[in-house]
Amino acid sequence: MLTNQTEKKDSIVKRGWWLGLLFILFLIAPSILSEFYLSILCEALVMSLLALSFNLLFGYMGQLSFGQAAFYGLSGYTVAMLVTKVHFNFWLSLVAGVLMAGVIGLVVGYFCVRLRGIYFAVLTLAFGQLLFVIIYKWHNFTGGDDGIQGVFPPDFLKSPTAYYYFILLVFTASAYVLWRIIQSPFGQTLKSMRENSERTEFLGINIARYQLIAFVIAAGFAGLAGAIWVPFYRSVAPFYLMWIKSGEPVMAAILGGPPIFLGPVLGMFIMTFFHAWVLGFTIYWPVVMGALILVIIFFLPGGILGFAHEKLKERKEKLNLTKGQP
Amino acid sequence: MFLQTQQITKEFGKLRAVNNVSLEIVKGDIHAIIGPNGAGKSTYFNLVTGYHRATSGKVIFKGKEITHLPAYSRCNLGITRSFQITSIYPKLTVYESVLQGLLCHRKVTLNFFSSAKKFFKEEVCRILEDVGLADQANTLGDSISHGDKKRLELAITLGTEPELLCLDEPTCGMSPEETDVAMSLIKKFSEERGLTILFTEHDMSVVFGIAKRISVLHQGTLIADGTPQEVRASEEVQKVYLGGSA
Repeated sequence: MLTNQTEKKDSIVKRGWWLGLLFILFLIAPSILSEFYLSILCEALVMSLLALSFNLLFGYMGQLSFGQAAFYGLSGYTVAMLVTKVHFNFWLSLVAGVLMAGVIGLVVGYFCVRLRGIYFAVLTLAFGQLLFVIIYKWHNFTGGDDGIQGVFPPDFLKSPTAYYYFILLVFTASAYVLWRIIQSPFGQTLKSMRENSERTEFLGINIARYQLIAFVIAAGFAGLAGAIWVPFYRSVAPFYLMWIKSGEPVMAAILGGPPIFLGPVLGMFIMTFFHAWVLGFTIYWPVVMGALILVIIFFLPGGILGFAHEKLKERKEKLNLTKGQP
Repeated sequence: MFLQTQQITKEFGKLRAVNNVSLEIVKGDIHAIIGPNGAGKSTYFNLVTGYHRATSGKVIFKGKEITHLPAYSRCNLGITRSFQITSIYPKLTVYESVLQGLLCHRKVTLNFFSSAKKFFKEEVCRILEDVGLADQANTLGDSISHGDKKRLELAITLGTEPELLCLDEPTCGMSPEETDVAMSLIKKFSEERGLTILFTEHDMSVVFGIAKRISVLHQGTLIADGTPQEVRASEEVQKVYLGGSA
């Protein structure tokens, strides 16, 4: 028993050291990076939160939502309108943004969770585009394709460094909460629904109800990402809700590895930084991105972290086998 | 009255797969439903467990009509089933799979913050020991043998602590040795846990070896219902099903 506990402690320490190192790197990032790359880092963190929210549905529940950006954008618009039009309290505006995403997530999810697979994906895409068109066309209320400018955070968050730390805090806390959800009995149930929804239903689970809860949670976190991004960027535009934006977390998850918790985060970091870097050479960024995705799908099925995880597991099994031999 | 079906009928278009079947399953019994291919055994099973809804007739469980209840509600009332084609979790470990049954039954699946692995350790281990899968607890569901998958499915269903366990061809695809092990397990659970077991089976030696009561379906209609001796003696059964050899 004592050995078990020591082993467990060891594995936590071993697993935890690189996360600690990573966190320290993030803490000192503002003193290392230029302002340009710091803003890219902010974008990567916010988009990673969107990707994590998407992956709760994709990687863990097994349903592809192609409308995740709608909640991101809707929340961004809620914050932008409350802050610029009615000069509402900044923090309460953020809360309102998340609530808006959650409530609309509940309505959209109510219809989507009745479907599975490609039909679920297409319906989320349709709802996402519907919300995009409403924002885009309702010029009097939303500003249409002009978007909304002048969304400022409180004075103490106006410097990029201060806002970066705010984003880092929100990202870390959200990632922790999502991690706990995935490890919880609810998360375990999502995984079992992904693996075999029929079996799970015949264990007494109302599949649609659990999918709806997960959908609302994912919409809420997507909303949180949108809510904290808009005041950093000082503006919001309709394309935040567009299907192309919804495609980004999909690609990030495939790139990094949907079955691994931090897979979509790695994918989003690669995409965001690669995007910033490639734009310095060519405007044909989508071609480069397309090629990257092709390489990953053909040579690293399961994504970068998924592939690495498989290889590590194989190595460990081989080592165990060798140890076991006389 | 434990489980009762009253004149239950299921039609698929013009095909009447189950025709006016009235049957009673007594608490604590091991009850077999037999019949040739296409007799309506699986459909009857699906009507009891909620996989299909009856076209007409009633299903009553512990005095409550459940004819129109969805499958998950029936499970929550105490009816759990296994499938003819083994239905397990391919990418969950054997341990996690059994744990899922317990999480569902004990209503903790809406806990969002505790670690799932901290729950019901003893219960999962006991079930795994009971079905003989303890040494494969950390193996993925799709990496174990066919016979073990069948046992795993049984273990998952036991996690829901059912009152009525419905097993659709529990020995389908098993070797004779595996069949013997599986049937003695089922008998053991029925005796130790007081489980009522309703099962369909095509292997007659299995049926007559374990069932306390047998119902025979033929072309969707119930043609005999009674003890193994009574069924064996039924002329009609011999004519349509056993070919006079029983």
